[in-house]
Amino acid sequence: MTDSGAESASPPSVELEAIRKRFGPVVALDGVDLEAFSGEVHALVGENGAGKTTLMGVLSGVVRADEGVIRIAGRPVRLAKPRDAWAAGIGMVHQHLTLVPTLTVLENVALGVRSAAWGLRLPFDQVRSRLDALSNETGLSVDPDVVVERLSVGERQRVEILKVLYRDPRVLVLDEPTSVLAPQEVEEFFSVLRGLASEGRTVLLILHKIDEILAVADRVTVLRGGRVVHSGVSDTMDSGSLARLMIGRAVAAHEPPRPSEPGAELVRLEGVSARGSKGEMALRDVHLTVRRGEIVGVAGVDGNGQRELALILAGAESPEFGTVHLPDTVGFIPADRLGEALVPDFDLTQNVALALTEAPRYRQGALLRWGRLRSATARLMDLHGVGAPTPAVRAWQLSGGNQQKLVVGRELMRSQNLLIARNPTRGLDVAAGRFVKDELRRMSRSSAGEEGEDPPGVVVISSDLDEVLELSDRIFVLRRGRLLAVPEDRRTREFVGALMVAHAGDPSE
Amino acid sequence: MLTPGTRVNRLLRFGGLGVALAALLITGVVAVGALVAGGYDPGVALGALVRGAVGSPEQFFSVTLVRSVPLILTGLAVALAFRAGVWNIGAEGQLYAGAMAGVWIGLAAGDLPGWIVVPLVLVVASTAGAVWALVPTLMRLRLGVGEVITTILMNFVAIHLVGYMVHGPLQESRGVFPQTDALAAAARLPALIPGTRLHVGFAVAVLLGVALWLVLRGTVFGFRLRAVGQSPAAARITGRIDGKRVILVTFLASGALAGLAGAMEVSGRTFALYEGLSPGWGYTAIAVALLAGLHPMGVVAVGIMFGALEGGAGAMQREAGIPAAWVSGIEALVILAVLAAGQGRKWLVQTRLERGRPAEASVG
Amino acid sequence: MAELALLTSFLAASVRLGVPLALAALGETVSERAGVINIGLEGSLIAGALGGALGALAWSSAFGGILTGAAVGALVAVVFAAFVVGLNTDQIITGTAITMGGLGVTGAVYQARFGLTGTTLTLPPLSSVPVPLLHRIPVLGPALFDQAPTAYFAVVMGILLWYGLFRTEWGLELRAVGESPDAAQAAGVRVRWTRFWATVFGGLMAGIAGAHLALDSGTFIEGMSGGRGFIALAVVVLGRWNPLWVVVAAIFFGGASALQFSMQALGWDVPHQFFLALPYLLTLAALAGWVGRARAPSALAHPWPKTSI
Repeated sequence: MTDSGAESASPPSVELEAIRKRFGPVVALDGVDLEAFSGEVHALVGENGAGKTTLMGVLSGVVRADEGVIRIAGRPVRLAKPRDAWAAGIGMVHQHLTLVPTLTVLENVALGVRSAAWGLRLPFDQVRSRLDALSNETGLSVDPDVVVERLSVGERQRVEILKVLYRDPRVLVLDEPTSVLAPQEVEEFFSVLRGLASEGRTVLLILHKIDEILAVADRVTVLRGGRVVHSGVSDTMDSGSLARLMIGRAVAAHEPPRPSEPGAELVRLEGVSARGSKGEMALRDVHLTVRRGEIVGVAGVDGNGQRELALILAGAESPEFGTVHLPDTVGFIPADRLGEALVPDFDLTQNVALALTEAPRYRQGALLRWGRLRSATARLMDLHGVGAPTPAVRAWQLSGGNQQKLVVGRELMRSQNLLIARNPTRGLDVAAGRFVKDELRRMSRSSAGEEGEDPPGVVVISSDLDEVLELSDRIFVLRRGRLLAVPEDRRTREFVGALMVAHAGDPSE
Repeated sequence: MLTPGTRVNRLLRFGGLGVALAALLITGVVAVGALVAGGYDPGVALGALVRGAVGSPEQFFSVTLVRSVPLILTGLAVALAFRAGVWNIGAEGQLYAGAMAGVWIGLAAGDLPGWIVVPLVLVVASTAGAVWALVPTLMRLRLGVGEVITTILMNFVAIHLVGYMVHGPLQESRGVFPQTDALAAAARLPALIPGTRLHVGFAVAVLLGVALWLVLRGTVFGFRLRAVGQSPAAARITGRIDGKRVILVTFLASGALAGLAGAMEVSGRTFALYEGLSPGWGYTAIAVALLAGLHPMGVVAVGIMFGALEGGAGAMQREAGIPAAWVSGIEALVILAVLAAGQGRKWLVQTRLERGRPAEASVG
Repeated sequence: MAELALLTSFLAASVRLGVPLALAALGETVSERAGVINIGLEGSLIAGALGGALGALAWSSAFGGILTGAAVGALVAVVFAAFVVGLNTDQIITGTAITMGGLGVTGAVYQARFGLTGTTLTLPPLSSVPVPLLHRIPVLGPALFDQAPTAYFAVVMGILLWYGLFRTEWGLELRAVGESPDAAQAAGVRVRWTRFWATVFGGLMAGIAGAHLALDSGTFIEGMSGGRGFIALAVVVLGRWNPLWVVVAAIFFGGASALQFSMQALGWDVPHQFFLALPYLLTLAALAGWVGRARAPSALAHPWPKTSI
């Protein structure tokens, strides 16, 4: 836990010099310098789009830098593919976990390591004993013979880290490792990281939550717009100064939600149970009502029935048991923008049309009224600030933020009654995320659309606890298929977070 | 916002035509190279090809356009299916199913007047094609078995069934040759241009091409079909589209089009059914559909072009001694060239995007 | 006694007819485990048959024919792999083109070389090699221990490939590439390299299968692969992507074809077209009954890397 001793004695274990990387017109990294030393936990922070993930990609050989020098323990290295990074002693734990779901833990750990005999054997005994030893050292334990797809997200992350440690890297790189963990798991996880650093490794990690940064990092490097704006010891920082460095201006604390005046009942789920994609009971006996003019928040770690609940509320699937009452039209913002919300290769008008093929206004018998759809799309883009020159560009050409604005606007066109949103701000930068949140808030409060109708109801289903706390009038937690109400006087991070993860590691039952 | 530079948009919008032209160029170069390598004189060969395809009105109307009819119809069948993400490799079998059913009803109802028999033949044959497609359709929708292998298997079943029919129940009355009796005049398609062998089937095929184009462009069903083909998940979740229904309808329509092609052959060209009726039109259709960029009007154009190729191939064999079998080699080459050119276009779009100047970009 | 002789010859014929299916399906198992479905297998098969025939003539030896067939089959797969792995094109469409091209080009080459009517080729025979003593076992002996060398080769390959896929680091890497190429790449596995060579290996085995076909029947006939490449694809599914089961499934399909001769011997009056169609019908039935329970490699037929366009 020291960063003074190592610094003077040996060269930095990782040294990046003037790294540049462009993706098309976007400059992701604009001459980044970085030094990290063995024995330290070094946090790389910044807004979405600041270049953190690109930088980690450069270090792990996934992204090839256009210019710049990378030195590991003082020696320049070329990292053109992940193999090169492994060979240089860099181990990467990706944000999107990179395990083979259909293989066992043991096979995943052994994958890609050539032990001896030209790969003509598979020394499982050897792998098993080393894995046991690693588990003991780090306290990260997991059954080696379980197939990975049966593990919870938290357990998979443990496997991912063990897999990386198995190769004994000098430098450990972790991309937003806490995003899949509940608040209570984070503390435990940080002590593992500190332990790894104290063995003389370099731990480089990307974080975006300020309190976590200050809790774990010895040193902090702040990226903004592809440049390093600050690098220094974390002791000298507080949350205010760090936030200013990240965003480049002071952030206003968000105001607490205005009390709602719920109107007529819109949704009623009674005793709803449903199966997930693998036939397991994903929802169990769920009861829920939603009224006009309120935002209902459903917090929880993904994979606890979120998808099934969202699809049932959206009217896209029916439950196996129970009764569902929904309004005629429901707007839905799915979690996967380019997979479920948009057709990437359709232009924007076609993507708007996708949600409106049932709307009488845009049909004439069996025909679609493309003229009306085109002008409606243009109006929508205007109204919601979708940055695109014409509705004729394809959806994949838009940035994530603009895609989401298009989706939100379209779903409001679809329904003035009810809007279901899953992880609505995931992957967006702060400004775009703000925009989407404001939009949801605004519509649930104002009488939307025509002739002073009652405002619509909103359900936000999210794994981002802060988002749920910030937006919601009423809060529930969805855990292992059960919907638990959070009492009005207990809506704190701690209480809701604890509800999210109670027994989370146990996939059975 | 990544810059939607004008060049990129132009590539995206008109890329299909560019891909087709590039593919033809690649095919031409490789084909000529193969001829030279095989010791043939490419000049003589190509001369024969052109003469055989468009050398005279007789050749053009009675050979090229007549051959284009099954190619257009099966090409439309494949293009429609592929648009919906249905990998129907079974147009060949569906064509044979249509030909069998068409001949059967044509022989059975040959005494009725032509204005009844001919439509009856076409309808029954289309139905048979759809029924032949029903097996792979249900296997996909009910059992989750991919249609690629099942449609191919159904092709072989159809071919052997034809073999059985023309040796057995449907064999000509004298029982000598492995083929059916000839259809009565009433069951034959009328000529489109008197004095040539071109029959009204050609007009039907072209009109169906126009109709499909309008359906895909303007109707709700056409739009849903394209959405299901592009992104089944987005179609289901955002579009609330019943993908299974779309696939069912599309698959059966595809089979019906291929079955219709079979009917046009027996009722418009051969007037009888025999083994080897189709020289693999159902497979050539894949090349036709791909080169056409899965666009119905493109299928019509490419179908005529391939009709010319098939017609010219006969002349090449007669005049230059080049085996006619090389035509399927050329058709395979067309498919590969389309694929290569398509990847080339993607690559161009990518590099154009990457070369766009930072000043044009506004991130966020 | 006649029934026993009939059974003996039926079993022997089942294995004999199952061998080309087993060889092609074993190769396809490897490429599918790496995530590549090769609809062009039929193209490799027919090219291997012609290559085998020409090679056997040129070297005046059946073994030379097998080697040539293997090389030609692999070469066809190199073209296929160059497209689907190198250019990342759609596997189904590319494979269809390879099959069309394989059938067309072999036909053209054969016609150019031997004329349209075809002077019938006579190839050096692929004689069976009885295993001492064992081939005398009643009923099973002739089926299992009095076969062509390719039959023994198929069985040995089945065992070797099983070991290779499930008990070596190579096999682990190959399976990971077929299940989750992104994860494999992140673990340092060469995804495209693996897919390329797995596909070429599949073509090589299909080439041997084709050569066996030509040498076993003593001649080459246009289109003699007769859809076996497609049946081999189904055999892989029935064998659940496990080389040992694939061999068993192949012999089962060999049996379906062998039934034709037994029925004739029994004097049953069933149209012979029925037996020609039987393997395809059986494959359809088997796919309908089995696929629900078998699980294909997750990344099968998925191009990699994915592109945004």
